[in-house]
Amino acid sequence: MARIGVYVCHCGLNIAGVVDVEKVAEYAKSLPDVALTKHYTYMCSEPGQQMIQEDIKAHCLDRIVVATCSPRMHEETFRRAVAEAGLNPYVVEIVNLREHVSWAHSSEPAKATEKAKDLVRMGVARARLLEPLEKRKVPVEKSVMVVGGGIAGIQASLDLADAGFKVHLVEKAPSIGGRMSQLDKTFPTLDCSACILTPKMVDVAKHPNIALLVNAEVASVKGFVGNYEVTVTKKPRYVDADKCVGCELCTRVCPVKVPDAFNERLSEKRAIFIHSAHAVPKVAMIDADHCLRLKYDKSVCGKCETACEAKAIRFDQQSETISFRVGAIVLAVGSEVFDAARMAELGYGRYKNVISNMEFERISDASGPTSGKILTPDGGKPPKTIAFIQCVGSRDKRFHEYCCRVGCMVTLKQAMLAKEKIHDDVKIYVLYIDMRAFGKGYDEFYRRARDMDVDFIAGLPSEIHANPDGSLCFDVYDKATSRLLQVRADLVVLGTGLVPNNDMENVSALFHASRSADGFLLEAHPKLRPLETAMAGVFLAGACQGPKDIPDTVAQASGAAVKAVDLLSRGEIELEPLKAFVDKDLCSGCRICESVCPFVAIEIKPELVDGKEKPRVEVVEAMCQGCGLCSSACPTGAVTMQQYSSKQILTQVDAALVEAGNGSGGS
Amino acid sequence: MSLTDLMSMAKPNMESRGKLLLRLGGRELVNCFQCTKCTSGCTALKLLELKPHEIVKLVNLGFVDELPSSDIIWTCATCLKCVQRCPQKASPYHVIMALRNVAVEREAKVPDAYMKAVSQILETGLAETCQKITTREMKVLDREGLKLPKINSPRESFQSAFLKALEEK
Repeated sequence: MARIGVYVCHCGLNIAGVVDVEKVAEYAKSLPDVALTKHYTYMCSEPGQQMIQEDIKAHCLDRIVVATCSPRMHEETFRRAVAEAGLNPYVVEIVNLREHVSWAHSSEPAKATEKAKDLVRMGVARARLLEPLEKRKVPVEKSVMVVGGGIAGIQASLDLADAGFKVHLVEKAPSIGGRMSQLDKTFPTLDCSACILTPKMVDVAKHPNIALLVNAEVASVKGFVGNYEVTVTKKPRYVDADKCVGCELCTRVCPVKVPDAFNERLSEKRAIFIHSAHAVPKVAMIDADHCLRLKYDKSVCGKCETACEAKAIRFDQQSETISFRVGAIVLAVGSEVFDAARMAELGYGRYKNVISNMEFERISDASGPTSGKILTPDGGKPPKTIAFIQCVGSRDKRFHEYCCRVGCMVTLKQAMLAKEKIHDDVKIYVLYIDMRAFGKGYDEFYRRARDMDVDFIAGLPSEIHANPDGSLCFDVYDKATSRLLQVRADLVVLGTGLVPNNDMENVSALFHASRSADGFLLEAHPKLRPLETAMAGVFLAGACQGPKDIPDTVAQASGAAVKAVDLLSRGEIELEPLKAFVDKDLCSGCRICESVCPFVAIEIKPELVDGKEKPRVEVVEAMCQGCGLCSSACPTGAVTMQQYSSKQILTQVDAALVEAGNGSGGS
Repeated sequence: MSLTDLMSMAKPNMESRGKLLLRLGGRELVNCFQCTKCTSGCTALKLLELKPHEIVKLVNLGFVDELPSSDIIWTCATCLKCVQRCPQKASPYHVIMALRNVAVEREAKVPDAYMKAVSQILETGLAETCQKITTREMKVLDREGLKLPKINSPRESFQSAFLKALEEK
């Protein structure tokens, strides 16, 4: 015989303002096995918790039902309180009277009170069947893999390495630095991107706790939180990274010219190249798709090999597979820039002087194709008029519905750079829908742009035409003046937004990280768990979770690093006991549970039955998140969810079907 | 009503607005954030001062009573650029067409050209009258002169079907 204590919370007036809490408590007394009922203003407060603890001792209670807010809010609070009083924490049942009753039915207090009674009856019925459970502990590997070497990955790696954890930083490109290394200046302080980024890149390369793997991609991830087994494929760069000194003798003799992706294809590099002026590691690499020697045969070329004084060229280099174990993973795979050619009316790709904001960064950058002089791509002259067009590919249902969150500030910055670098007299028009300057110091930055005589026109053009001299022309209806204005510009810069990475699908499949509707990686909770994925031990940093500027990216990266530290610092982790459990005698080995499990927590373990090998299923406890899909899918009833067994749930359903005031559940 | 247009002292008419939205099959075609892209590219703006974004905003605010009786809704050249390029997939074109239908229902003044087009179609089955052409030798020729087959007037069943379709709209 259980002795159940029922506690009804007022939650100030949140519950008591609608539900007659006294009546509910009074009704609970009539339910079988209920030894005690009370109601109180705030059950979660210290006196509220103390009341439960004292009652447990004084009245020998062994099951506790708290009728209060959502279990997501305070289930943990009450479990802890009960544990302190000497009971198993899992004998607490939460009945949700706030989100499910008072907030939902605020206009019908009488009916709400009846519903509250029903829910309390169901809670009491289930409480009787609750079983004590124990948390389990598993040891963890004290190292982390960071995927992506942009500013997010760099920041997370440095924070983790400084905290004493071994970090494996995996980067797809031949150098770390990512998108930020392509930028000229950064808003809202206008400090030079390279000046603040390059020292951090060097720190990464020199840090004793960081193993840097560039030109590498994650091939497979196995295991579970605290114990991931990772294999990484390191692609050949055809240069001995230990011998190459980055002198660039080879790049001068190579006869093959290829468009330089780092410079947004505005200039050319050679088939043997160094990623960028600030590359880390500063090691040459051969583009196998274009190198004559690698494409054809030995006799064709080999000029780089002859020129290299360090004897670092290795045409026979093969890809390597590297495996290691990590306890946690930080995903910092970043984003890409919208391809404006998809928006045909703007003429990007057709007219050379219509460029993306990323191309503007390269033109403006001292290490870019024009050595920092802002010149039109077609004509090569400094523009006298520049037009910036906002929201290209973003806030557009045809492409991406979200706001890119950086476009407005990027344009303000670039407008200022143009004013500074070309001439004070250069005319700048910014064509926008809404100017979003929401960050710290951002609206002041917007004011600074207005002080510099940048002209803002509230309206977007419908189409862009080219003039024979290469300049561009468009009409725009200005909301402020109610006039149709014609703009002639030498250079049009499109405010292209950030879009999900091309191989996001791969990343999502590899790490079992879900994606949100916009294509970016999905956080575990939009407000309360923004740094985690739904997979335990896999964290998110930077623009792979959603478009982000540098300050937000760095903040999230440091946060994700601390989340990983939090997980691994104790050397072992406690696992919630709310897991699936398989009765081997009932399991037929049909593997339906395996196909429905979103957390890959089902493992097939063949077993010898009567001399024959039969598939049997086992739950990897560390992976199981207790969602219950397997249990409801199992045709033989072999999978039981602890704390949510069929019996516990059906008893609750039975109690729901009994009318309050009569039948076995009532008085 | 909490809103007044002080230029014309007009008040929003939410009932007419509701009916218009029903005609448009929901709120989506007026889901506009006023980027003015439609007006920037509007074929009818430079000559006839049609501002599609303004019409959509007026409908959104509920100022729908004046629109069907105004001349402006008849100036749309139906080039559909606004439909193609709207970032919010709103469609000023569809809104303007709905307003035209309201105008016909209310028996507001419909421009002569439209009435002429209707009688033209009823009589000949063609949206345009057969034009004459001038050759390089400055000869003016009609279809007969060009030895093109004669176009017969439409059958009665066409006329009744056309009238029926008009009434349904």
